[in-house]
Order: sequence, then C-alpha cells, then structure tokens
Amino acid sequence: MRVACVWLPHFSVAIERRNSPALHRRLVIIGETTDQRGAVLDCSPEAEAQGVRIGMPLRQALGLCPSASFLPPDLPRYGDAFDQILRALETMSPLVDPVALGCAFIGLDGLNGHYRDEMGLGDALAQAVRRVSGLMPSVGLAQGKFTAQVAATVSAPGEVCLVAKGQERQFLAPIDVSLLPCSRDTLRRLELFGLRTMGDLASLPMGAVQAQLGSEGTRIWELARGIDREPLRPLRREESIREHLAFYAPLISREALVTAGRELLTRLLGQPAMRGRAARRMALRALLSDGRSWERVIVFREATADQEQMLSVLRTAIEAAPLTAPIEELTIELSGFAGETGKQEGFFSDDRQRQPQVAEAVRQLKARYGRSPVAQVVEVEPWSRIPERRHALIDYDP
Amino acid sequence: MVAHSRAATRAHRLRPLNRPKPIQVEAGESGEPRAVVLGRERLAVAAVQDRWRIDDEWWRERPVSRLYFRLLLEDERVVTVYWGLEGRRWQLQTY
Repeated sequence: MRVACVWLPHFSVAIERRNSPALHRRLVIIGETTDQRGAVLDCSPEAEAQGVRIGMPLRQALGLCPSASFLPPDLPRYGDAFDQILRALETMSPLVDPVALGCAFIGLDGLNGHYRDEMGLGDALAQAVRRVSGLMPSVGLAQGKFTAQVAATVSAPGEVCLVAKGQERQFLAPIDVSLLPCSRDTLRRLELFGLRTMGDLASLPMGAVQAQLGSEGTRIWELARGIDREPLRPLRREESIREHLAFYAPLISREALVTAGRELLTRLLGQPAMRGRAARRMALRALLSDGRSWERVIVFREATADQEQMLSVLRTAIEAAPLTAPIEELTIELSGFAGETGKQEGFFSDDRQRQPQVAEAVRQLKARYGRSPVAQVVEVEPWSRIPERRHALIDYDP
Repeated sequence: MVAHSRAATRAHRLRPLNRPKPIQVEAGESGEPRAVVLGRERLAVAAVQDRWRIDDEWWRERPVSRLYFRLLLEDERVVTVYWGLEGRRWQLQTY
C-alpha cells in the first residue's frame, strides 16, 4: 500500500501566526489560560527549542519562556482550517485519513498514471495544501503509514521525501527511536539497552525484543524494519447543511443572537434537504470580533425538525456561552439526518397525561352500563407465598 | 341537618385475581404429572422444570399445603399446577 503523509508541524501555532503576522516574531504557546492547571496544547518551534513540550503544565512553560505569547486555543478555527486542507486532498485521492490536526495520510494506489512520477504527485499534494491554507507542508511517500510519516517528519516544509519500495529498512536505520509510536517506559528501556536508532532495534532478533518488551516490542521491531500493516481509515463525510449570518454591527445582546438563530433555523428547515427529514445534531459557531471563535455541538435525544425545540436548545446554549467579545458572525449546521416518519414513541408513556382521558372514558362507560366495567389491580398481600392472595381487582371509579 | 340521601353506601368491592382453577392432570405412580388437559386437548408433559412445596396458614382450620410443579408441555407451553394436599385436587395456578 503506497501512502503519502502530509505533515504541518505545530499546526495550531501556524494558524494563529497566519491570522496575526505579528506573532511570527514572538514565541507562541497555546493552552487553556483560564485554567491554572492547563497544559500546553501546542507551541512554536522556538519555544520548543527552549524546552517547552506539548502536554507540559502551562506554569512550567511560563517559567521556561516568560516572554512568550500565551494564547487560549481556538479549536473551531483550527478544525475549520484543517477541514479545508482535507477537502483539498480529497479532490486528489478518495482515501484521506486524518490522524491529528496538521497530519493526514493519503492512499496513493492507482494515482500514479495522473502524475509525471511520485515526486510530481508529492509536489501536487503540497501545492494543494498551500493553495487552501497558505501553509507549506512536508510530504513523505512510502510503503505503509509509519515510514511515510517518518519521511514527512524528517523533511523540511515544502520538501517531498520519497522512500522507494523495499528501501524502508535502510531509510529508517539512522533515525532516532524516539519517533517510534511506543510508551515512554519502552523508550526509556530502549535507551537503557543502548538502542539509539531504528537500525539498532531492527538488527536484533525479534524473539529477544519480544522477550524484553512484549507485544509492543514486536510492533516497534516490525516498524523499525519498515513492516507496517496498519490500514488507512479514510474519512467518512457526513451530509450536513449550514447557514450563516454576518452582522453589519457586531452583536452584544444574547437576545439578538437568539433572534439571529431563529432566522437561521427558519432558513435551514426550509431547505429542500430537510423536506420530510429530521436532524440529530446541531452545531453552533460564532465568530467573535476579537478574531476568536466559539463552538457548541448539540446532539438531540431524538432527531427533530421542530423549530421551537431547536430554538429552545439554542437559546440555552447561547445563554450559557462564555462570549468574551461581540459576535460578528453566527453559523448553524445541521447533520445526522433521519426520516421524520421513523420517530419512535416511548413504550412507557406518561400516565399523568392520560389520566383525564381514561377518567372521561370510564364516566361514559358508567353512564351506559350503570357501573364501571374497568377494574384496577391493587396489591393486597404482596408478600404472601400463596399467589392468589398477593393481588386483587378493585372497581376503577375515578 | 342534612337529610339522608338514601343512597346505598358501599366500599369498593375487592375481586380475587389469579384464583386457581381446577384442572385435569394425569399423574404417574410417583405423583408427578404426565399429561394435562387444557380445554379439550390432552397435552403430554415434556419436562418438569421445577417443583416446590408451600405450607402456610397452619394455624387456621384449613391450612394451605400445596405441591407445585412447573411443567413444559409438548406444545412448548409452560404451566404451573399444584396438588392440593388438603383438598386432594389438581389446580392450575396463574400469576
């Protein structure tokens, strides 16, 4: 299986810097700054050079880089930017497997005929990403996902690294074992054994590695030899419809936002795609005037096409939203469609609602027959060992 | 003073539920049912799934003493019958 890996390191930082060019001159650390115990979500390469690592507590990062710009994560924006990249890649191959923000695998089998050679194909992938994002990825092409990812990781932005079929082991041999997908404990043990490169690991007999490191050892031994059987898991797109409103003057009032939400729902529910259908999921996205965004995804208990029900949920979400700046744009997206006719009623309906109806029916029966023909089961001696003593019937007379 | 309406006052009447019904049972020498007659149909017992005994109300004049059998019939129906040790009769027990 021929695979390409498109790699945009420090993707979140790259998106922040694309939107605020002033950040190019500064160290950037992204993490949830409102939480004292927050961790580093991403950091710029310069901050990384000073010892900051992803997952490190923000306080520690602050100690290492006190002059860095600390930014709260804008996950909806990063997600949108990466989605645009994935859509661009999907125009080139039907098999696009996103791994994490900024990293995706692309299945290449059958694409060779469309390009000059594999280098041309790698260049085309990089250009497609650059066109939609303005960011230049590194691209690795190899047999299997792991080798392709290593090839992309060790390449500079804009470079295409091609590993010919059968050359995986030679390519991986000088590369540090820290790129292997294994636990910290295994990495520490590899270091203790003096195994620094993948070539060191691959040269050992598999039995010895397995005896020391178990099944994880077998897996990394195979990867170090370029043996990777992990299949591509292509992205499955779900049908969705969306509408958005851009406000001439940014909105401050939440009530005005709810009114805008009502307008968007009216437009969405009027679309032909919603005819006879109901939606299971509603995503709300707001673009704030400070350039940040807010997102909330609501999953309905049952698919619905009821505007009032959607609006009620939307109102609750907007009232609870931590909006730190006026809203410039509001988007609503509906997805998870189901047929409206397939709605299942609850097996146990609410008896309290039926009580007046039953009482009225019994009154009419009594008027006709002189006595109530409806009986109610009551407990008499529920503890009795004799079954017929446990319950009895009593006339139902509301 | 308000005049009596002359209407009969009555408590809600309790009606028994799940009262045992007499049933015709063919029993073997050991006393275990071999066949039962449900309606007009005689059905052989495929298996005795469970058996238990209830002795209760021994302080009354007519104590309750029953030997229960849960039976799997040949048509795959499951019924519960008992042999009333005091009345010497087979009964079908519903729940």
